[in-house]
Amino acid sequence: MISYQTTSAVLGLLVAISILLLVRSDHLHSRHAVWWLVVAAASLVFGFFPRVIDWLGEALGVAYPPVLALVGGIAVLLVKAVLQDLENTRQERQIRRLAQRLAIYEADEAPPESK
Amino acid sequence: MEAGVLIVIPARNEAATIGAVVGKLRQAGPFAILVVNDCSTDHTAARAAEAGAVMLSPVLPLGAWGAIQTGLRYAEKRGFDCVVTLDADGQHESRFVPDLLEKIRSGEADVVIGAYPERGSPARRLAWAFFRKLTGFEFADLTSGFRAYNRRAIELLSDEEATLLDYQDVGVLLLLRQAGLRIVEVPVSMQLRANGISRVFCSWWAVFRYLLETGVLCLAHWGGRKRAST
Repeated sequence: MISYQTTSAVLGLLVAISILLLVRSDHLHSRHAVWWLVVAAASLVFGFFPRVIDWLGEALGVAYPPVLALVGGIAVLLVKAVLQDLENTRQERQIRRLAQRLAIYEADEAPPESK
Repeated sequence: MEAGVLIVIPARNEAATIGAVVGKLRQAGPFAILVVNDCSTDHTAARAAEAGAVMLSPVLPLGAWGAIQTGLRYAEKRGFDCVVTLDADGQHESRFVPDLLEKIRSGEADVVIGAYPERGSPARRLAWAFFRKLTGFEFADLTSGFRAYNRRAIELLSDEEATLLDYQDVGVLLLLRQAGLRIVEVPVSMQLRANGISRVFCSWWAVFRYLLETGVLCLAHWGGRKRAST
């Protein structure tokens, strides 16, 4: 049987490598890349040193430290989801404004008939 | 720079009625008529152009309010003093346009709603009652698309802040009230829909979604109500 530390290290490494590859190949805009690089770094730290979670949990008075990792993960996802919706809203607004403006410019370009 | 009145008609797949609507408006007065063709898949654009309207054709579907805002932005850019919006299905009668304009011209109001509360189906009446309670508006016809806006209202509603609205109804009125604009209603009569059914009130599920979304919008503007009433 392999140790849990190996498992967590391999998982952390896989996550970090995937993210780094995506950033390297320009699939992630730099604004998002920063966020994901932090996630990659965290998954490396917690993957290679899972005991960090136990120390943190103890220090924060969490009775069962692994829960801290889960709660932390969920909180990060929640924040990310909200940020994503904010971004979607911003883009939706811009896309609508752009479509409206384009329509108005097209009318300006058209020959002035039927007025 | 052009000045005067621009009639804005948002239209999606209204080929059956748009020609007649534009034709009647041309007889009703010297208005510039703009049809915003919201990605129709039928001959709406051709019928409107034949009838003599200026056409705008956004490349993406913008929805009813998005199409109207396109018209408002056009009016703002071209320097029109006043915009009247009406539906492409023929339910709003062109003979009432002067009634709406009169209130604007006399300086009595910045925004005029052509109200016809008698048209309410049970779903619509429920929505009206709900929003009157929620917003404190006392208008009889909160969702009428037959409206007139003066220059101040045109400028306000052309703004980015109004771009994410989906319907020309309570959300628009809330923005106007927050900016301190005067809104009045004038009674009009409307034709029952000759063709098709209301996009908002087509099913109970659609009504529910509409109530929920607009309800959230009302809550988001809660502070405005207090400010306006003091």
